[in-house]
Amino acid sequence: MTSVSAPSPARGGPSLALPRQAVFYLFALPFAALTIVFGLWPIILSIDVSLTKSATALRAEPTYVWFDNYRKILSDPIFLESLWRTLVYTAFAVAANVTFALGYALVISSKAITWGRTLFKIAMFLPVVTPDLAGYVVWRWLYDQSFGAVTAFLALLGLPAFGGIASVDTAMIAVLVAELWHHTGFYAVIFLANLALCDRALVDAAKMDGAKGRQILWYVILPQLRPALLINTVYAIIEFLKTFTVIVIMTKGGPNGTTNFVSYYAYQLFDQGRYGEATAMATVLFAIVAVVALVAYRIGDQREPA
Amino acid sequence: MNTPAIPLRILAYAVAISVTIFFLYPYWWMLLGAFRSTEAILTNPLALWPETLDFSAFEEVARIGGQSIWVYALNSVLVTGLSTVLSVVITALGAYALVRLPDPWPMKLLRSGFLLTIMYPYMLLVIPVYIVMFKIGLLGTMTGIVLFLALGPIQFFLFEQFFRRIPRDIIDAARMDGASEISVLRYVVLPVSAPVVATVAIITFLLNWSQWFPVLVISRSPKTYTLPVALLNMNGELGVNFQGIMALAALTTIPATIVFLLAHRRVIEGVAEGAVK
Repeated sequence: MTSVSAPSPARGGPSLALPRQAVFYLFALPFAALTIVFGLWPIILSIDVSLTKSATALRAEPTYVWFDNYRKILSDPIFLESLWRTLVYTAFAVAANVTFALGYALVISSKAITWGRTLFKIAMFLPVVTPDLAGYVVWRWLYDQSFGAVTAFLALLGLPAFGGIASVDTAMIAVLVAELWHHTGFYAVIFLANLALCDRALVDAAKMDGAKGRQILWYVILPQLRPALLINTVYAIIEFLKTFTVIVIMTKGGPNGTTNFVSYYAYQLFDQGRYGEATAMATVLFAIVAVVALVAYRIGDQREPA
Repeated sequence: MNTPAIPLRILAYAVAISVTIFFLYPYWWMLLGAFRSTEAILTNPLALWPETLDFSAFEEVARIGGQSIWVYALNSVLVTGLSTVLSVVITALGAYALVRLPDPWPMKLLRSGFLLTIMYPYMLLVIPVYIVMFKIGLLGTMTGIVLFLALGPIQFFLFEQFFRRIPRDIIDAARMDGASEISVLRYVVLPVSAPVVATVAIITFLLNWSQWFPVLVISRSPKTYTLPVALLNMNGELGVNFQGIMALAALTTIPATIVFLLAHRRVIEGVAEGAVK
């Protein structure tokens, strides 16, 4: 039985294993088909298009201009600005969402809360499963100067008016709050899951030793929340780098370009038929996301043996 | 140990209740907006109760973009329902195969390829998908939309984790008894998989009910639009129909809300588990 065409070191018996294993290939086939047709092929296509001249991109034989599109976008001030803006927004949005989620998870899992915890959790997670488009449509109108509740509420409290999505100064904050409303419940749920696994005995022991609330939080609870902090930060970075729906609904990149993030700008160019540049931007964003994911994966791996 | 002091408890509840209001108020405001007349809203945007119930908005949204709202609603149900069933079956089989036979290079390649796919910025993937749909003749079809929505990360991770936890001994015992892999799947794995299947199905339903960008991009006419896409168009229209927009937003939101409220524990636990991967 020294066949040259049987290289697979199978888990079961070598001769019987082949037909057994063949079944798994069959099981995986539809999944593989979807992954290839709607995942890998479009990605390759996108990179391919980014190397061609936009006007010829969709033709059977496009003209290849290689890195011209990349050169073009890297000297496009609007793109560079939108990239920088995306990074700044991501930093703020990640910090705001993760901090808010952490704080809120600590509050509703604390002993001070004795009833209503399920209700608080449901309310917190409802925006996550609400169609984002519908949620942002409602927020778009909440900020409206004449219909909106935000303006009226601030006036009621005698506070200065909030420009919302209409003002250059506040548009990004308005977008951030709406996104926080939609996303933060997800991060809070991850923190809550992690908190449920925390060792309560350590907290009690620290209290016995006379540790103050802040010390307990900093030295006892937070170190145990490292896994959730890592996961949430990575998920949030990837999520907010891609910020798109909220912009389409609420600001369309405005006012005056102050919320023109990379994915929205790329989509606009695509809409104008500038396929080469749009896909080049997609590749740049993909590279950033991939680096973030890879670094996170490394950090996660290092933690494993501990 | 001991219950915290009263001031601390009051503080905790003040925070929890304020944040809960922040999360829930937009829903109430949306419903009020749908049932209050435009004049009433403009006079008092902060009213917490409708002066009178005005159903005119629902008559206005009965037809959107030249077709009945039922077309959008039916499309939403069909697209979400079919893509959910397909997603559960295809992802479960795929994840099962990758868990049972992870080592051969085609399987390794498949897993890496899938991980690469889910890392790609979604809305930027959708654009080349338009070209793919064109090339394989599925542009503008329901089939194209359903197939595209059948692939998702959380579904895969939930199934993968679940199948990894099934003890090898049980499967090996069945194999010793001469069961084929199909029988192992049918009589050993399937019976214990009901909870994970339910969790994945509900989460997929909620995710795909919300989808709008792929639906918009793959569609060629409003004939395949779903409720969120109808809402997008209505919101983008010139000439504000605030009340109609709120009514349509409510109609888009309510089915997802009901499904979530009925299965909140399963959804929250499932999402947490699928994410911690």
